[in-house]
Amino acid sequence: MQSGEQNQALSSALKGKTRLRVFGLTFDDVMRYFFGGNATVAVVVLALILIFLLKEGAGFFGQNHTNIRVYRKAGLEYVDIMRAPLEEFSSLTRSLNDVRLKRFRTLLAQGKDVAAANEALTPFDDFANAFGAAASEARGVVSDTTEVASAVKTRAQVSADREEEKAMLLHSGKAAEAAALKVDEVNYEAEIKMITGTAPVWKAASLEMQEKLGAALVVARAADWSKGDKDLAKVLEKTERFISDLPKGESRMAAWRWDEPVPFSRAVTAFLFGREWLTASFWQDWYGILPLLVGSLVVSLIAMVIAVPFAIAAAIYISEVATPGEKAVIKPYIEFISAIPSVVLGFFGVAVLGTALRSLSQVEWLHWIPGFPMTERLNALTAGCLLAFTSIPTIFSLAEDALSNVPKHFKEASFALGATRFQTLVRVLIPASLSGIISAVLLGFGRVIGETMVVLLCAGNRIAIPDFTEGLSALYQPVHTMTGIIAQEMGEVAQGSIHYRALFMVGIILFTVSLLINFLAQRVVRKYRISIG
Amino acid sequence: MNASPNSHPFTTPVTGAVRIERIAFNAFRMATYSILVAATLIFGIIFVKGSETIFRREFPFINVTFLTGSPETLHVFEHDGQKHELGDKAFRAYLESHGNPQVADENYVYSAGGIFPCIVGTFFLVVGSMAIALFVGISAAVFLNEYSRGGPLVEMLRLAILNLAGVPSIVFGLFGFGLFVLFAPVFGPAPDPSHFSLSLGFTYLNFSGWGVSLLSGWFTLAFMVLPVVITASEEALKAVPKGFRDGSLALGATQWEAIRTNVLPYALPGILTSSILGIARVAGETAPIMFTAAYVVRDRLPWQVEHASEVLFQGVMALPYHIYVVSSKIPQNVYTERVQFGTAFVFLFLVLCIALSSVILRSRMRARYRW
Repeated sequence: MQSGEQNQALSSALKGKTRLRVFGLTFDDVMRYFFGGNATVAVVVLALILIFLLKEGAGFFGQNHTNIRVYRKAGLEYVDIMRAPLEEFSSLTRSLNDVRLKRFRTLLAQGKDVAAANEALTPFDDFANAFGAAASEARGVVSDTTEVASAVKTRAQVSADREEEKAMLLHSGKAAEAAALKVDEVNYEAEIKMITGTAPVWKAASLEMQEKLGAALVVARAADWSKGDKDLAKVLEKTERFISDLPKGESRMAAWRWDEPVPFSRAVTAFLFGREWLTASFWQDWYGILPLLVGSLVVSLIAMVIAVPFAIAAAIYISEVATPGEKAVIKPYIEFISAIPSVVLGFFGVAVLGTALRSLSQVEWLHWIPGFPMTERLNALTAGCLLAFTSIPTIFSLAEDALSNVPKHFKEASFALGATRFQTLVRVLIPASLSGIISAVLLGFGRVIGETMVVLLCAGNRIAIPDFTEGLSALYQPVHTMTGIIAQEMGEVAQGSIHYRALFMVGIILFTVSLLINFLAQRVVRKYRISIG
Repeated sequence: MNASPNSHPFTTPVTGAVRIERIAFNAFRMATYSILVAATLIFGIIFVKGSETIFRREFPFINVTFLTGSPETLHVFEHDGQKHELGDKAFRAYLESHGNPQVADENYVYSAGGIFPCIVGTFFLVVGSMAIALFVGISAAVFLNEYSRGGPLVEMLRLAILNLAGVPSIVFGLFGFGLFVLFAPVFGPAPDPSHFSLSLGFTYLNFSGWGVSLLSGWFTLAFMVLPVVITASEEALKAVPKGFRDGSLALGATQWEAIRTNVLPYALPGILTSSILGIARVAGETAPIMFTAAYVVRDRLPWQVEHASEVLFQGVMALPYHIYVVSSKIPQNVYTERVQFGTAFVFLFLVLCIALSSVILRSRMRARYRW
């Protein structure tokens, strides 16, 4: 009897308390699912980022399509075709001016005074004046048609706005008010006739331009003063090509149709490969990401060129060369740099570094460096230098990890064979940790391209693709970046407008690029890891 | 043979390889030290120029107005043959006391007064977002380190955390704007006609967004810093020896009991100290709060509200955003430089203190727990 009671007591003690179950779950299960649920937050947030970027940004292509359709229907495209040769002509006159300036300077350098130099350049000026006057007729035609097309576009916009208002009224059940709202349909066909009707006038103007330019060319070629000037010869040659290309524009104008449908793909390509980001313009808004993408890449590449050698050298020094005392100080100090907020670095660029770099570039004996002295205080180089600073800690600590994770016996084997420390480093340690170093560089690049405040404050914010034909000085030109444009313009745009959606599209591109870089970095580590052990 | 006095049979001969090694190592040393020099220069310039604003030669040695006042417009003018630099309020008082004379003044916005609202705003942002991030982050780390047993799902979780860490901060800003500012649900007595709304019977859930508010900023920043917190927490959990869990389980504890009594108490100090780095990041980021929580200027402090609920739904001024505003929106000159460098000094000082305390606490922690 007694042993039976004891058994019962023992077994109940072993079984423990009966567990409370809610919906078949014990308290332990609930806790488990609770923690699991929190862990999925990372996945959920990633998904939400994508969803909300797409939600706000996806409408962009539709709106851009309409935007480009109106551009064609209202005849703006036609006027732009007309204008294209004139813009080319303007660049020709600019280079002609450069030639004059150069000659003027040489004359001054030869010891002539200003009046004498101007006197000597009189035949050149006569030619330049004749050259410039050739386009006056054509310019008049273009400016007239510009006005007409602008007016058509404005009316199209007004009627589109009315339409929207009407739809909104109908939606909220105010049918009577909606009916009262009159929408003026724009008769594109009639309006376009007014624009394309200028074709004969344009043709005459273009012919006149060809003749005048041709005559000016003949004069210049025959004259003494044009002999032996390579720059001038180049300009003349370009002018010749320009004259022969003029009829091509006319044939494009003849082939142009206002009612030709704009394919939807044009809305996508105009964004991805568009060379212009032009907003709030009176003529036509363009949302092309190329200048921003190129700006981001230029700034990031400058940063990487500076950061990678320094960061990797420091990583090697700390893991292989430094004494324990140095290591204990330097390593935390470099990691400490990553705590500097980027906006403080940006401010440092605006207040100190930009001015310092420019005055450095004005130092006389540094003028051999191409592009010096720089004209702008805030440019791609200023931003790049500071961005290098933000990426150094990232690259340094990841590369240092990779180097110190190489098994000790690799090193010992190399030493045993009589290699010096440097030989061991170059032949054994770096190859063994190369995948880690490359992924460190990639992650540093990802950090740099996503950095906002430094580029917003220091890159100069001029939306233009740097002129790479000028060589290295392209690096000292102000640029705008993808991150910078979002930060700068997001606060000023109307919600739901095409501009607003375009900014979200830039965000999507940025998000994709950062995921891609992360993916590559992980892949490099996995694929090229030396099997250790 | 080499006849130098301290030569012995075991000296390394100075061959070409050794010379190359010396040159290369010296180059590495130079590179490393130049990074340190550059960093020290940046700290130094900001601290030296900023301390002119912050410190005073006479008692109380610290510029109290700068730390406790609100931003004001600075008026610089000449009157009675004297040059005056006064903040907005003082300027008006001066004019009044001198019979409203006509003075030609130059004025610079935000260049007088102080930055107290920014400090307070940053404090609010950091506390709220870190509370959210720590709660979610520690729970996620507990799952990953204690409960999960590998498998493709857990792999996916880890991949997501890794990728989340790489998302640019401005994208978090856009995301926070799209989700929290424009779309997040609020309770309301009636359905909002212009937004999607859900009826809950006793009240309505309107998806009209939280607006530019503390709440939006908290969540945006919390999600941004989540990967940092998760990684830090996992490391601290990993550092607790397996024997602690096994011993507890062997005594009949359930898994949650084992975690609660034998893992979390030992991991928590480590988690918190490592997460301080997250605080530095949250305090330092500007891009995510630009459209979600920060105001350029706001004359009321966060606690000066009529209803308690408004505390969460108000925007605040923040130090990093204020630095952006004063360094990009106002011209650079002698008068504006003070507030620019002063704000940068205060901000950098706070962030570096946070980072430094993390480093020191961590090394102490390592010394204290040795299993």
